[in-house]
Amino acid sequence: MSATLTLAAPLAAPPPGPDDLRIEGLVKRFGATEVLRGVRLRVPRGQLCALIGANGAGKSTLLRCLLRLVEPDAGAIEVLGEDARRLRGRALRRLRARVGFVFQRHNLVPRLSALSNVTHGAIARAGALAWHQALAPRALRAEAMRCLEEVGLAPLALRRAEALSGGQSQRVAIARALMQRPEMILADEPVASLDPAAGREVMGLLAGLARQRGITVLFSTHHMEHATAFADRIVALRGGAVAFDCPAAAASPAALERVFA
Amino acid sequence: MPERTAPPRLERPSPLSFALLVGAAALVLSSFQGAGFSLAELWAGLPQMARILGEMLPPAHDRWDRVLASLLETFHMALAGTLLGVLFSLPLAVLACRALNPSWPLRAAARALIALFRTVPDLVWALIFVVAVGLGPFAGTLALMVDTMGYAARFFAEAMEEQDKGPQEALAAAGAPRSGLLMAAVLPAALPSMVATSLFCLEKATRGGVVLGLVGAGGMGMELKVAMDLFNYAEAAASILAILLLVVAVEQASAALRRRIIG
Ligand SMILES: Nc1ncnc2c1ncn2[C@@H]1O[C@H](COP(=O)(O)OP(=O)(O)OP(=O)(O)O)[C@@H](O)[C@H]1O
Ligand SMILES: [Mg+2]
Repeated sequence: MSATLTLAAPLAAPPPGPDDLRIEGLVKRFGATEVLRGVRLRVPRGQLCALIGANGAGKSTLLRCLLRLVEPDAGAIEVLGEDARRLRGRALRRLRARVGFVFQRHNLVPRLSALSNVTHGAIARAGALAWHQALAPRALRAEAMRCLEEVGLAPLALRRAEALSGGQSQRVAIARALMQRPEMILADEPVASLDPAAGREVMGLLAGLARQRGITVLFSTHHMEHATAFADRIVALRGGAVAFDCPAAAASPAALERVFA
Repeated sequence: MPERTAPPRLERPSPLSFALLVGAAALVLSSFQGAGFSLAELWAGLPQMARILGEMLPPAHDRWDRVLASLLETFHMALAGTLLGVLFSLPLAVLACRALNPSWPLRAAARALIALFRTVPDLVWALIFVVAVGLGPFAGTLALMVDTMGYAARFFAEAMEEQDKGPQEALAAAGAPRSGLLMAAVLPAALPSMVATSLFCLEKATRGGVVLGLVGAGGMGMELKVAMDLFNYAEAAASILAILLLVVAVEQASAALRRRIIG
């Protein structure tokens, strides 16, 4: 993999190009507990950034806040040049459509085919035509098939999602994200439910596809070897803030250990 | 090792639960009184019942054509009423579903309407529709439709509510509007349960449709009431037999279909 591109870069030196993600002073409370207390993070275009942190550190909350799946309490969020906190209704949906989100649980519709689930990725631009593969026009179906091909599942296009293995389901979820023609992908522990071999494979697939297309990626993980192998940069959350931020190649095991201490 | 003493077989009731128990017993006893339950009258009525039963046998078989025609009418009423009721239940259920309708006043209104449809018995709806659209099967069909809505809309809403929120969140994250969540994630997942509910409504409407004739809302019940009013028990028996066959046939068919859908 080309994960060590930034090997020689000094700490957090930004590569050229605009930032696809700018987070400033992000705060999120659930009741009395402050989960995020002023997170600051910038991710430049095309970078693959791993987000690590102990259970309950707020990784999922942070990722969800970026698309307003969870409503943040304070701070500024700029996603792909849009002020994510100001958007509502159609404008918010249009921004969400530009960002693929891969969940820990694949979150496929179980009774629908893999192809229908991938077609759903186009729902923001195609509307009702993307509800089901049978409704989709020829071009949309062809594009969905290409996305399934990218993740190696074209032969299972008509298999129901509930009949797919965990690894296959997560591939379909990645294909659904690709169907969005995303400029950025957020992934919340995308391989946490997979066995080590499948996890490595799927993580490599996601990272490879993103690099091919120049898609910016922020993914959370508990696997340090995934963070160091597939990301350009590792960011750690601790105590509701960024505790640690360095190029993946420069991350020492001891420093990573401290995040969880 | 010392022998372990078993706990007491029955726990001693607290004074409050004892009082509640006594109260419940009193209520049950007084309800027999209130319902005019009388062994003597039951005893005196037995010969009468035996006489009616004797006259019912054998059931009349000279008017099968009319019996079958009104049986078919009952089935048509049930089918049309269920279909319309299920159709109108869909938007009502979406309005009543928290995940799909964030506006709580609208949600509360939808739920109140569904509760009204459910709690008022179908016979009362039939009385109202007979006044509104006149005697006949149309009034009965409308009554069955409303009755179906009270039942189907509630269970549709529950089926939509209890579906996994994950796929809905994934679609929302992809920029889907609420209609997209409904059509692409919620409905496909809730469909088997909703079809089963609809079949159940058809069974219910078939049984209900039989009774509606008693208030002039069409179907088998009218035939039965006329026969009973004319003391023509053999003909009444033929109607009852036909009703039995229809209800059992619909229940069996619907049960078989539901097994195929769920299994
Ligand atoms: N909807 C919610 N309501 C209340 N508390 C929540 C909610 N979502 C998350 N939390 C709390 O916020 C904290 C951060 O949770 P979050 O899921 O973001 O952590 P995480 O870093 O993703 O953890 P993990 O590694 O276990 O996935 C936890 O203490 C959690 O209990
Ligand atoms: Mg998490």
